[in-house]
Amino acid sequence: MQVIVFSWEFPPRIVGQLANYVKKLAVQLVKNNIKTYVVTYHDYLTGQQSEPEGIKIYRVTNPVHTHIGVLTWVLTLNQEVERAAADIYYDAEKRIDLIDAHDWHFIPAAVTLKKALNIPFIYSVDSLEEHRSHGANSPFNMAIKSIEWLGMYEAKRVTVKSEWMKNEVFRIYKVPLEKVKVINPKSAVWMKEILEVYEDVAGDANDA
Amino acid sequence: MTRELTVMMLTWEFPPRIVGGISPHVYHLATNLAKNGVKVYVVTCDFPGAPRHEVIDGAEVFRIDSYKNPAPDFATWVYLMNVNMQKEAAAIVNDLNGKVDIFHAHDWLVATASIGLKHVFRKPLIATVHSTEIGRRNGIHLDYERMIHETESWLTYEAWKVICCSNYMVSHVKWAFNLPQDKLVMIPNGVNTEEFAKFRDVEKNGDFNAFRRRFALPEEKLVLFVGRLVYEKGVHVLVNAVPKVLEKVNAKFVIVGNGYMKESLSNIVKNMGFAHKVIFTGFVDEETLRKLQICADVSVVPSLFEPFGIVALEAMAAKTPVVVSDTGGLSEIVEHDKTGVKVYPNNPDSLAWGITKVLLDKSYADYIRTNAYRKICEKYNWNLISQQTKTVYTSVLEEYSKSAWAGAVKDTSIL
Repeated sequence: MQVIVFSWEFPPRIVGQLANYVKKLAVQLVKNNIKTYVVTYHDYLTGQQSEPEGIKIYRVTNPVHTHIGVLTWVLTLNQEVERAAADIYYDAEKRIDLIDAHDWHFIPAAVTLKKALNIPFIYSVDSLEEHRSHGANSPFNMAIKSIEWLGMYEAKRVTVKSEWMKNEVFRIYKVPLEKVKVINPKSAVWMKEILEVYEDVAGDANDA
Repeated sequence: MTRELTVMMLTWEFPPRIVGGISPHVYHLATNLAKNGVKVYVVTCDFPGAPRHEVIDGAEVFRIDSYKNPAPDFATWVYLMNVNMQKEAAAIVNDLNGKVDIFHAHDWLVATASIGLKHVFRKPLIATVHSTEIGRRNGIHLDYERMIHETESWLTYEAWKVICCSNYMVSHVKWAFNLPQDKLVMIPNGVNTEEFAKFRDVEKNGDFNAFRRRFALPEEKLVLFVGRLVYEKGVHVLVNAVPKVLEKVNAKFVIVGNGYMKESLSNIVKNMGFAHKVIFTGFVDEETLRKLQICADVSVVPSLFEPFGIVALEAMAAKTPVVVSDTGGLSEIVEHDKTGVKVYPNNPDSLAWGITKVLLDKSYADYIRTNAYRKICEKYNWNLISQQTKTVYTSVLEEYSKSAWAGAVKDTSIL
């Protein structure tokens, strides 16, 4: 299986807790014989690199340097994420089984790649705008929520890290509960459950 | 090529959605390309009452769900709309089994959608730059403006060829984004003379005098301005020229269009005591606009920044003499004393001189408007322009066929 993981942070760029989690995930995926590509952002460490653990990394930067906020920054960066993912896809002779998109930032890219190249994606939820913004509902927050909604709607599966988040995803975005899978990162069967979801999303047998 | 050349055009406006000049431009270009054997898909923003999918004069139009929540600002709305445009365009191309040869983007308003589509489908991108932020704002002063400027720069970087509608814009865009000369192509904008001819027939029935009386007395000359009421269009220069013209000629000034300067301009007119001589009509429907352009004794284009100057072409197609400021694309369209009158930009005295000259000398006015009409029929017709555009498509595809993306060269990825 070949997967592309989208995350806006990945070591050495650490913003919050997602960077180290995605690194741990990628390392474990490689150990489980999954060819793993990570597409992420960095200011200047751009291009394709191989990590010692066997992860293939494609770091992109934003061609538009000046921004008025995180939203415009994210929305322009998505085209570079698409370019990186498309490069990986064509170099891998189009055998990419799925994209695992962490949080909302690169959802627009994941959606376009699904529509254009039929690559299914998983939306892995770490946090939601509803909680980050403490219920604020300015046009800025609404825009981020609309992208989260788009991700929930277009994703083949949604993974969350707790039962509480599963209920929140249902409450806020009305995602059918059978689409949402709780995978606790602290659990002993964490990787096993991730692999099950990957098999489910990638497997053509389940579609037939 | 065994099948017909296929182009997907991206534009934020297409009739009936009309904000500025891009909408009619893409309409004429797309429909004339279709007449010249090019399969054209147009992807554009939706509009109340317009169907999601229709064929207009041979061009297949898809209207996408533009982002309709309140957005923090215009630029952020543009980027959010592009998420939807890219998503829907990707699905359309996928439904066509990837049978699109070229993506053609019009201005930064569709930059992010078209850049992503280029890479995802690995097809060449062509960009028409109608206008630039640095030109519109007369420099880059704020982060907001710089963000748009850099987005425009990125679009021209990603484009295989950049089309501009005047030699002035070619050199401006080359300077603004540091582009190599051989990336730039000049193809002029066009005007459709039939749009005026069909209204001119009405004149014979005497209907025109009644129409004209809605705006001006029979003894008043009609001076027409058409454009957005914003600084770069120089409408304030015209307003300041009003008393200078009225010293010599009895005239009515009809100002068509809306913009942030409308209130201050109409206050200036009131304070000058000429409220009865200047009419602000706001936005008018197409029939009224075309008839006004035909009825006018002179059409004035006093822009300070003008990438092309389609209004001048329209006036020429309406067989009305034009007075334009000698700047940008206007300088190329008009030949002084032959097809129009050129005046100094941002100079009310010079503008008043030009208007007065045309209004007082009927034989001179007839001479320039006749020459102008002949010129636009020869050079600015959409059939010719679409053929020139098709030539660009064909040469880009020829180059593309030898590129790594077309599969002719082994790729050299390190992954």
